[in-house]
Amino acid sequence: MTEFLTAKNLTVKIIICLAVLAAVMAGCALVGTQNISLRNVFAGPGAEAGANIDYDIFVRVRLPRVILAALVGAALAAAGVVLQAILRNPLADPYILGISSGAGLGVIIAVLSGVTWGFAAGSPIAVFAFAGALATVWLVWAIGYFAGGSRVTCLLLAGVVVNAFFSAVIMFLTSIAKSEQVFSTIFWLMGNITEKDMPVLLAGGISIVAGIAALFAVSHRLNVLSMGEQQAKDLGVAASRTRAVAFALAAFITAIAVSLSGLIGFVGLIIPHAVRLVFGPDHRQLLPVSAIIGAAFLVIADTIARTIVAPAQLPVGVITAIAGGPFFLLLLAKYSRKVGWLK
Amino acid sequence: MSGIIEVENLFFGYTTKDTILKGLSFELLRGRFLAIAGPNGAGKTTLLNLLCGSVRSNAGSIRIDAEDVGSYSVKQLAKKVAVVRQEIVPVFEFSVAEVVSMARTPYLGTFGFESGPDKKIIAEAMSVTDTQRFASRPLAQLSGGERQRVFIARALAQDTPILLLDEPTSFLDMKHQVGIYDLLKKMQLDRGKTILAVTHNINLAMQYCDEILLLASDGGYSHGPVEEVLNTELIEEVFAVRTVTGKTDVGTFFLPRGKFTKNSRRTGPETAET
Repeated sequence: MTEFLTAKNLTVKIIICLAVLAAVMAGCALVGTQNISLRNVFAGPGAEAGANIDYDIFVRVRLPRVILAALVGAALAAAGVVLQAILRNPLADPYILGISSGAGLGVIIAVLSGVTWGFAAGSPIAVFAFAGALATVWLVWAIGYFAGGSRVTCLLLAGVVVNAFFSAVIMFLTSIAKSEQVFSTIFWLMGNITEKDMPVLLAGGISIVAGIAALFAVSHRLNVLSMGEQQAKDLGVAASRTRAVAFALAAFITAIAVSLSGLIGFVGLIIPHAVRLVFGPDHRQLLPVSAIIGAAFLVIADTIARTIVAPAQLPVGVITAIAGGPFFLLLLAKYSRKVGWLK
Repeated sequence: MSGIIEVENLFFGYTTKDTILKGLSFELLRGRFLAIAGPNGAGKTTLLNLLCGSVRSNAGSIRIDAEDVGSYSVKQLAKKVAVVRQEIVPVFEFSVAEVVSMARTPYLGTFGFESGPDKKIIAEAMSVTDTQRFASRPLAQLSGGERQRVFIARALAQDTPILLLDEPTSFLDMKHQVGIYDLLKKMQLDRGKTILAVTHNINLAMQYCDEILLLASDGGYSHGPVEEVLNTELIEEVFAVRTVTGKTDVGTFFLPRGKFTKNSRRTGPETAET
């Protein structure tokens, strides 16, 4: 008889993963262009500001950045898990339903119009990215719903078409923009983690962790939902309602991640697959473990991005894509023969 | 005692012009085994979808356990009716045990983990269907017959009084066809399950089912004990195919005959039929 997933067993696994994540975060915060010693960090901030430079670098510069990378990685991986389940498509990622192009459009509008006001401690770029992402996702959902009712294929097609259309608009706006405006937009589109203020981190962190916790509450329903709408109903799960809730939560945490760090690709695609290969497809386990592993992965990727060409920095999206691209192709070769929804 | 399933004057069509079911009424008592047969497009699978609440009727009523099917929530209905559908291959590589465990979804608490009794029911359903041998294998690696047994195990683990099956034997060889029907019959006899199976195989229905609901393409239907309903004339009328009826000491069988079958008027010179 095979082992069942129990609450106790899962809790142990999550605690082990969290310990690994904490170790990765601490280790990565110690790595950088400036060598710092852990002993100096623990010595505290010192009597006056700037007395202990190691402490300042660790707490004010590296830690916020590491925390941001962890939050974004967790959000993208969790959203990837959810979208792959509700779209029943192993190739889905958090950006598949228009979040990327919507957020990108928001950003380029913010850059071109030169707005300077922010909202709730967010920069104008972050606010526009968030609004653009959510508006586009809603648009895609509405089109998919009216075109195909509950069929996920229509939703996917609506996402692809809206993505293509908005990408064209982004390219048009880029081509008429000034070069320094283009530069900041492109940097954002490649995914870019920078130091953020504590209030921003706190607000983002609470939203993302709450979003993932809420998704965990529907995770056992994602199991049956990934078998298809009809199967879900046969097994007592109100398919369209569950799908709408899961989708809204996934879109929300992705939009927050995107507004914090731009478009970081591949995390939302490869982490769920990697975790599924090791731990199996049960979403009660897949969701929390993917979120934690996604966090650790992005923390490491960002550490590489900020050190490999130091003192310059690479956009972290470049690192995730270079690491993720080949991995994705392997998965594609392995999975594409049995993608269920194509049948 | 009234029936566990009562269908009254049921009308249904996917479009307003094209009505498939026209005034269907029948009653099925608890613990009976009903075959639903008829030509393609007569509404067999549609009727199954109406019975499990995934499609709403245009008019008429369906009562499950004396309550209107629409009055149940999705969750409540999943505790009354389990469905085995045709050939499903999941997108993700769920193991056999994981697929069977999904049956407990309507019973799970807030945190969504199987309790001790849940696990017992799952293990029992797998042992009855002889699927525990490949419990940890992914569903995609199984043969058609094994996969069908897994979905029957899942339906049993759902612990419902009613089982609906959509052509459970359509892709299986003879041994597995008989195996599936044996298993269903056992569930009917040992556990008092009420079973409704859509089937094209009227000979198997003849051997295993108590009653048959024969749906015709024009919305007409016949319902009653299999032996009384099925006869050469009715089959020719409903399926538009002639059959040779053979009577043996274990029951009657129907052999479909086409224009070009061996020993027919067109192909068989020596033993030409009438």
